[in-house]
Formats: sequence, structure tokens, C-alpha cells
Amino acid sequence: MAGRRALKAVLIDLSGTLHVEDMAVPGAQEALNRLRQASVAVKFVTNTTKESKRNLLERLQHLNFDLQENEIFTSLSAARSLLEQKQHRPLLLVEDSALEDFTGIDTSEPNAVVIGLAPDHFNYQTLNKAFRMIVDGAPLIAIHKARYYRRKDGLALGPGPFVTGLEYATDCRATVVGKPEKTFFAQDARDDVGGAQNAGMLGILVRTGKYREGDENKISPPPHLTCDSFPDAVEHILQNLL
Amino acid sequence: MRMRSGHFVMADEGWPGCAKSLKGVILDMCGVLYDSGEGDGVAIPGSIEAVRRLKESDLQLRFCTNETQATREKFVAKLQRLGFDISASEVFPPAPAAIAVLKDRSLRPHLLVHDGLLPEFDGVDKTNPNCVIIGDAAEYFSYQNLNEAFRVLIGLEKPVLFSLGQGKYYKETDGLKLDVGVYMKALEYACDLKAEVIGKPSPTFFQSVLNDMGLQSHEALMIGDDLLNDVGGAQHCGMKGVQVRTGKYRPSDERHPTVMADGTVDNLAQAVELILNQRRR
Repeated sequence: MAGRRALKAVLIDLSGTLHVEDMAVPGAQEALNRLRQASVAVKFVTNTTKESKRNLLERLQHLNFDLQENEIFTSLSAARSLLEQKQHRPLLLVEDSALEDFTGIDTSEPNAVVIGLAPDHFNYQTLNKAFRMIVDGAPLIAIHKARYYRRKDGLALGPGPFVTGLEYATDCRATVVGKPEKTFFAQDARDDVGGAQNAGMLGILVRTGKYREGDENKISPPPHLTCDSFPDAVEHILQNLL
Repeated sequence: MRMRSGHFVMADEGWPGCAKSLKGVILDMCGVLYDSGEGDGVAIPGSIEAVRRLKESDLQLRFCTNETQATREKFVAKLQRLGFDISASEVFPPAPAAIAVLKDRSLRPHLLVHDGLLPEFDGVDKTNPNCVIIGDAAEYFSYQNLNEAFRVLIGLEKPVLFSLGQGKYYKETDGLKLDVGVYMKALEYACDLKAEVIGKPSPTFFQSVLNDMGLQSHEALMIGDDLLNDVGGAQHCGMKGVQVRTGKYRPSDERHPTVMADGTVDNLAQAVELILNQRRR
């Protein structure tokens, strides 16, 4: 391998990398502990908008992952900052469980549309409502534009398709808040690892979660590495990158 | 411009003068003849009479629509109930064209369309689908139905998506509503593919209407409320395109960055008045 890079920080995606819904990726807890013992900062980044930071933390701690709330960076919290900054009153098309991260924000007479992963809201009536608001001038804020995600019963549409549809309907561009481009472990090749690589960081693609055969060929440059799962990725880091 | 024995002859005259040399008119339906909404909807004032006047003239007349919430039969019956003199053989909606394409390419569809359109596909083999067709499904565009269509596409080695039209929105009596194009874009994005559009503004679609009339494109004029799909689509084929200020028209259409209608009129009645006036001279 040409040149060794001494890593200072590792950013770990959550859904699909450390866990798939309520099940931990086998060996991931241990791998995380090993990583923590090394001399790197560890942070968690996620586009998960289905639940609040607190729920997320509880779920992960329940699965025996060692992490703190202040190590988690979610796109929900990024969206909230933007709303506060611009003093928008949002129509929140986010999962009920994610609403908690927006407590305190005035949602009366909404003048902005916020879209997260909210299958319950992606029905014709609600999308029409959002559409009419945007036509009348409301900004469209997308927490992220993931194309799809993996549920226990198969692949499911993410918010990206609906945001794209609304952009087409209104001739407007959404402001995409959220997941920093600098991600290390991720399984949506195009969205995450590609972004990391483009930002000059190393991206490691794992074959869990929404990974599909051939994903590593879909980004340019290709990922630094493609591994079966998070524990394999950690092994590689500990052996080669520190 | 051609010069002939000292006279300047306009090879290509603009609207409304171009009406003099027209041989046929193609009308969009929703937003030009009527506005949809509760029940049968509402005829746009002056449109019934305008259609009658066109039929009495020496111009050929056809109706070209992206209507996909009902079968052609039911749809034409509705227009007749509203008072329009119109018959199925004059009406060109996307579903029959789509069925021809399926036959031609041996494709079996997964349908994401309005319940009212399903009977149009009764004779079509829908087992083991190897393509997806989306139409203006309106409230049938539930997350679940969209997800099903998505899963069919993502599971195909060679995914094919047909979109019956690509409109962004249309106007009903209670406001603007999202059209099939929005969901076409959604599935294109989700599956990283490009849909094939059957219906306006596909040139093949317009051509099939022109063929039925036995006319060349420069001999026909399209009148519609959708700047991009009716007017732009028609112009792209070599027809003149006129926009009406009814239906989904919005004032910003008259300042559009890429499409400029050959003419903009208040409604169909005014368009027909101008056309017939030109031909009387």
C-alpha cells in the first residue's frame, strides 16, 4: 500500500454499519471497544431521521454499544440549527419519534417544509400540502436525500425520491442539511463513501445494511477498502492505518 | 422569406396569421375543455361552443390528452355528459399507446395507476412483471404502492419504467395537485434510471395523432394549458403551440426561460375565434 496515513479520527455511520434496526452487526460491540483503545477520536454520524438522538442512544446502549450522546451527530440536529438560524416555522414531515429533536420550535402557520424519513407522511395528501406551500414560497429543507434504506422486510424508499419529486414539481432546489460528507464507514456507496473520498478522506464500504453487490464500482474514486462488516474494517484500521 | 414575382411571401408566419394555412387542430382536454374536480368536473366557459365551431369548419380536429385516471371509454362519456360533441376515435390518451408498446416489446407490466384505469389493461398479461408503468394515480400514490413499484424495478436486471406523461401538476377545482411526472422523477432517482415517457410530450405520441389526421406537423396547431408538455412538446415536433390562460396556466409561464408559446390566449373560445377569423379573410 502506498504511504501510510496516521488516522486521528474515525467517523462511524450507525444504521446498517453497527446495527440493522434492533439487531447489532455481529462482533460490532467488541470491534468498537478495540477501536476506542487505539489513539483515535471516535464519533458517530447518522442520517437516521426515524428517531430522536435520545432514542438512538438508548437503542444502541441496549445493544451493548459503548457511546455517549455528545459523540453522536445526527442530521436532525443539523436541521434544527438551520431552522433556528433562519427563524423558519416548519411543516415537519419527519417520523413521530424524531419530533422530540424539534421541541421548542414554533410550528404554527408553517412557512417552511422539512422532509426526513417519514413513510407515514409520504402520502398523496401530505405531499400535495407540501407542494402548495413551496409553490407559495416556502423553502424546502431535506434532512438528507437517501435513495432507499433497508428494512427487515426489504428495501424501502428513502426521502430522496420524494424531495427530488418536489424539486421537479416546483422548479426549486432543496437545501440538504445533514450528514457531513466526511464519513468513514457507510454502506450506501454513492451517498456516503463517495462523499468521503471526494472530501479527501478514506472511505471504507461495508457489506452490511443497504449494501448491494457491485456498489464499490459505482463511486469514483473507488473506496479505499470494501469489507464484509464493521469488525473487519476495524481490524484493517488497527493493522494498517494507525 | 421567399420572393416570388416581387412579393414577399412569409414561409413561416406566426400566430395568429399561421391559422390561415392550417389543416388541423389538436386540443388538450383537461384545462382547455374542462376543469376536473368533484364529480364530472366543470366545462370551461365557451369551450363546448368552441369545439362545435371547430367541427363545423374545414379543419381536422383531434383531442390529445394525458388523462390516465379513467379508461378512454369512461372519459369520453364524461365529456359527453358535460355537453361536448366528441367521440372515442378522436381522442388520444396514453394507455392505448402504452399497450401497443408492451405488445411490441413483449413486456409484462407492474401497474401503478389509478384504479379507474385498470380496465384498460384487462387483456394484458401482468404476471411476472418485467417493467413498471406509472400513470396519474393520485391518491393511489401511497408510500406502500410506490414502494412496491420500486421493489419491482430494483429487482430487475434490466429495469424499464414507463411514465404515462411527465406533468408536474394539474389544476382541479380545489387547487393544484401533483401529477405523474413527480413520481416518475422519484422512481428515477431511487433506481438511478431514466423513464420512457408515453404520452405528451413524447414526439412519437404527437406523431401518432398527426398520422391519424394524415397531416404534416407544420399543418397542425396544438392548443393546451401546459406550457412544457402541450406547447413545448408540440413545437418540438414542428407544430405551432398556443397556450390558454385556463387550467394549470400560471402568469410566470409567459416569462418561461426555455419555452415561448406561439401565442397566448385567454381560453379556447378566444383561440377558436382568432383562428376562424384568420381563415375568413
